[in-house]
Amino acid sequence: MTPSSLPLFILAGPLVIALAILLLPARVMSLRACEAAHVVSMVLVFALALAMTGQVLGGARLEALASWLYVDSLGAIFLMIIAVVGLMTGLYSLGYIRHDIEVGHLDMRRAKIYYGFFNLFVFTMLLSATANNIVMMWVAVEATTLGSAFLVGIYGEKTSLEAAWKYVVICTVGVAFGLYGTVLVFSNGSEVLADPHQAVLWTSLAQNAASLDPSLMKIAFVFVVIGFGTKAGLFPMHAWLPDAHSEAPSPVSALLSGVLLKCALFVIIRYLALMVRAIGPEFPQTLLLTLGVLSVVVAAMLFFVQKDLKRKLAYSSVEHVGLIAIGLGLGGPLGVAAALLHSINHSLAKALLFCGSGNVLMKYGTRDLDKVKGMLRLAPASGLLLMIGALALSGFPPFNVFVSEFLVFAAGLKAGHPWLMLVCLLFFTVTIAGFIQIISGSVLGKTSEGAKPGDVSAATLVPLGILAALVLVMGFAVPAPIAKLVADASAIVLDGGDPVTVASPWQFGGTTLFADDNGLLATPAAAAEPAAEKETK
Amino acid sequence: MQGTLFINGLSGFLIVTALLVALAPRPVQAARFYALQSLVLVALFVSIAMTTGSTELYLWSASAFVTKVVLVPVIMTKMFRRLEDPELGSGAVMPAALSIVGAALIVILCYAVISRVTLPAALPLKPALAISLAHFFLGLGCIVGQRNILKQVFGYCLMENGSHLTLAILAPNAPELVEVGIATDAVFAVVIMAVLGMRISKTLGSLDARKLTTLKG
Repeated sequence: MTPSSLPLFILAGPLVIALAILLLPARVMSLRACEAAHVVSMVLVFALALAMTGQVLGGARLEALASWLYVDSLGAIFLMIIAVVGLMTGLYSLGYIRHDIEVGHLDMRRAKIYYGFFNLFVFTMLLSATANNIVMMWVAVEATTLGSAFLVGIYGEKTSLEAAWKYVVICTVGVAFGLYGTVLVFSNGSEVLADPHQAVLWTSLAQNAASLDPSLMKIAFVFVVIGFGTKAGLFPMHAWLPDAHSEAPSPVSALLSGVLLKCALFVIIRYLALMVRAIGPEFPQTLLLTLGVLSVVVAAMLFFVQKDLKRKLAYSSVEHVGLIAIGLGLGGPLGVAAALLHSINHSLAKALLFCGSGNVLMKYGTRDLDKVKGMLRLAPASGLLLMIGALALSGFPPFNVFVSEFLVFAAGLKAGHPWLMLVCLLFFTVTIAGFIQIISGSVLGKTSEGAKPGDVSAATLVPLGILAALVLVMGFAVPAPIAKLVADASAIVLDGGDPVTVASPWQFGGTTLFADDNGLLATPAAAAEPAAEKETK
Repeated sequence: MQGTLFINGLSGFLIVTALLVALAPRPVQAARFYALQSLVLVALFVSIAMTTGSTELYLWSASAFVTKVVLVPVIMTKMFRRLEDPELGSGAVMPAALSIVGAALIVILCYAVISRVTLPAALPLKPALAISLAHFFLGLGCIVGQRNILKQVFGYCLMENGSHLTLAILAPNAPELVEVGIATDAVFAVVIMAVLGMRISKTLGSLDARKLTTLKG
């Protein structure tokens, strides 16, 4: 492990700025000063995450604070998700919050609270992604709830307070299960390791996982999946998610869906890696596969019937988290890599669409899809960006979500689950129908009478434009550094395994292929062949 | 041997005090019972420390006394004192007798689960370990079976006490910072839940969880 100060700096930035915004009086910290500090914080986080990822790609595993902080390829993926989506939603917030102040939804005091808690929220998520200490990992995930609860309820209306209450109670209770799982794993480790102080470190536990008590580890994993699965939005623990996502300001919804859910999944993945080493992959993968399929099935139906744009998107998040759990549950290098790639792709596409829903709110003043019509004619740039987001999340090529969904289904066929994949595909078709409704009515439909033409401000369009570009780039060709990170992270989760190189199906050259059972390189379609052939026979 | 018998016996009082917290008619009374229950927990920490010779556990006992016996109950009493919802009554959704039978069933089920654990540290204290797990689920029951949102906060506190006891039984030599991290987080969680509860009470004029059902679907 390479000692580094970067993990400390990346945590210190948003924490210090959050405290400064929240604690300094308004005459020192005006709204403009808050905005400037907020932008500096998000840019700093992005720059430091990029620097750390560069070092990790070079083969380093960064550690700080006596190994309490640790960044490997797995951590770097989630660090970059936080940094990129944090920066984009952070920039988007500038225009969105100013609009909220103009129309009287927020006053100056609440706008200040918003920026303070936004930074605190980002800090807690960064802590969860960099934690090597499993208790600190739990504390960080619990702190994400506490840091974001006031963001969810910031409008102070009856519905937003209701959403905030459900969010805090369900997630705190859920994460209490995570604490119990953490306590069981730590206790188990402290019996095995000579120094109990080492039992708190994920890296030490991973090295000594084979000596852990199998019964206790199974119980612990159930607790961990219930606990952190609640925060990740897995069915049936997802009840908080549609309310919190729909009632929060749109950039916060984007952060919740694009980043927070992934942070909770990251912790589950860390424990999955421990379980694979301690009790083998069968038990944890079966549990994740079951919850993943249930999430996809239930969320697809609930997604379809929603009339509120943001609630619809919230159920779409449950579905995609389910798909990530399916990838992890299918296992093998391809399944895990597909799940990790889908985490990245979903974060970008969902941030785009949730911020797009913010533009809808600014333009129409409602989230009711029966009233939001003809966005493309009324606000062409916002309409186009909304359509790109909807097409991407539907899983259409050449957008990024298609690539990772394709890889998950390829992993399913490779693992010998064609019927399960067929069921998932059927339910994803329901989702496509739901998104087509949005595109045909709200984007391409006839403009509502009395609506004023003209787009929203450039400040709220530029971040969406960048997100849309990223969605397209990741769809055309998975950049080589990301493909390498994902492959390395997959090997960390599975404690080795066949090398896997991740790419979109149409990338036939360079690093676009992955190894089959015989160590030969193959396209994703070829990877699916063995199972398909078996089926035919 | 006598030490472990005492610990197993004392842990039974946790269930009794948990029921007192869950069945208390008003949040302020529940806060007092919670202080009592935390005192039992601290006594258990001291007993385990004496039996295992763990110096870390003595430190835990001290910090748990400060946070759980004093700080959290005082915060709750101060914040909840002015909040009343006479229409709500005790807020319990099931009769007290049924809650007691349910608690007994949870303890039996948890004992069945814990009996399969073979960890050496757990062997002499299996009854206490089962009770710590049961205590965790009793806390969950307290949230699910309660309409008063302020009393739901106590459910989380009970769950957290259960986890804490499990940690003390299975890892008495855990670093003090682990315990401090958990306790600090719990204090923040309670404060934030209490603040939100107060804002809801002010906006809705009620503490009834059944009135928080505007968002559906």
